[in-house]
Amino acid sequence: MNLQKAARLAFIAGLFLLNNGTIIAQDMSQPGNPIKDQSINQAVTSMLPSETDFMMVGLTTFGFINQSVTTTGAAANKTNSLADADRFEFSPMFLWRHGDNLLVEFEPSWDGNSIGVNWADVHYFIAPGLIARAGYFVLPFGIYNKRLAAGWIDKLPSDPTGMDVAGSDFGIGLSGGLPLGTMKMSYDVSLTNGFQLNNDGTITNGFVVAQNNGKTVCGRLGFLPLSNSSLEIGVSGLYGALATPAGATFINTNPTSTTGPSVSMYAVDLDFVHNYNPVQVNVKAQYSATMISSMTYADSAAQFTFNNTITDFFGQVSVRPSNSKNKYIKNLELAYRFVDYTTPQGSSYGQNYTESDIALDYWISWRTVLKLGYEMRASKGTAVDNTEGYINGVTTNTNNLIIQFSTEF
Amino acid sequence: MKITGTKKMITSGILAISVIGLIGMNGCAESKKISDKSGAQLWSENCQRCHNTPAPKTFNDEHWKTIGMHMQTRAQLTNNERDKIVDFLQSFNHL
Repeated sequence: MNLQKAARLAFIAGLFLLNNGTIIAQDMSQPGNPIKDQSINQAVTSMLPSETDFMMVGLTTFGFINQSVTTTGAAANKTNSLADADRFEFSPMFLWRHGDNLLVEFEPSWDGNSIGVNWADVHYFIAPGLIARAGYFVLPFGIYNKRLAAGWIDKLPSDPTGMDVAGSDFGIGLSGGLPLGTMKMSYDVSLTNGFQLNNDGTITNGFVVAQNNGKTVCGRLGFLPLSNSSLEIGVSGLYGALATPAGATFINTNPTSTTGPSVSMYAVDLDFVHNYNPVQVNVKAQYSATMISSMTYADSAAQFTFNNTITDFFGQVSVRPSNSKNKYIKNLELAYRFVDYTTPQGSSYGQNYTESDIALDYWISWRTVLKLGYEMRASKGTAVDNTEGYINGVTTNTNNLIIQFSTEF
Repeated sequence: MKITGTKKMITSGILAISVIGLIGMNGCAESKKISDKSGAQLWSENCQRCHNTPAPKTFNDEHWKTIGMHMQTRAQLTNNERDKIVDFLQSFNHL
């Protein structure tokens, strides 16, 4: 019974729609008819650019890794995996633009174990060369984190160790690019909640609620001296008072200090890309130093002091015959990177670390790459104890063979 | 009033930002050689500083405008560079 009733209703509705369509069609044929005008207006309006644009882009990176770890006096430990936490990423990025002046960015990221956020911020384009931002963003320190870290941009399968020292934080900032005759300069500065000093002497940031009243100032100045923008040289600096958590076990060893512990960082970076027909040469480098106030630190075993300074360098060069006439060879790129990373001797995480990486990339499209990489890493422990695995005098060699796919979508 | 190290840094930072902001708002001199550059040339020179040059038909006009603003926040492009590059990329959607 109900089915019959439903069928009758559907039949009547169909007749109504059919009849209505005929009426509209008839009316549309009459010039100056308001229904026709409304319909055309709607069609035209839908084709005009709107003030608001929302889009989703993002990236994903995954691959195979075969790893061999050899520690002094122990047998090699070999593993293989179709992904690992350092090299798997799925990060959709949401961009929302309102008019010509407002841009909101949000990029969550899943590394296979947990979901984090790379950035969640709003930019306001105040004037040419002046952009304000607020929210959670990558600190403007060096070039790697902000510009080169995405898997589809990075020429090698892994990030250079230690480059994330400044990290991301909550705050405000200004940035812009300015012409200077035939040259160009850029600036990028921020004021953020800042770092907390941990019991082992490391520092952590990214607190939505500030852990102290001192803020962290960070900035980078970039200079592009050549008119074709092929060379960029940057200098960065960071300074901030460190928050000390409740129950901290470290002691300030500077009796004249009245301001508490602090952190200072500086970095210099270089970016050079030039086409020497038919080969494109791409050079990237960054050196940074992090200086944290000297303290007496403590763990469960003892108290110890050390010079709390971290230095980090990476330099990489890649060549690509991008103007080759062969359609396969032009998509190949050979990249090499060297990394030197030193953490404080006598701390619980002290090590002298070096890394040599080589990769052969095949660019499937401008934003999709297949990488075959080999990494040789050597870490010599200089730690005061073995709580974090960096045993004094013990060398660990890690060799990674990686096949990685990365794309921007 | 005693000025602490942090306050000195913040004051210096604010002063630096103000100076840079004033320069930016007043506009710096751009040579004719630079201002005469086409969108294609700027696209070729600037995008490859970080990544491969994007294929023009990847996005529609509105999305290119959004991407242009996003890229400006990353690579600190000048407004002139951003606008010319976006115009160049959008032009392929109307061929």
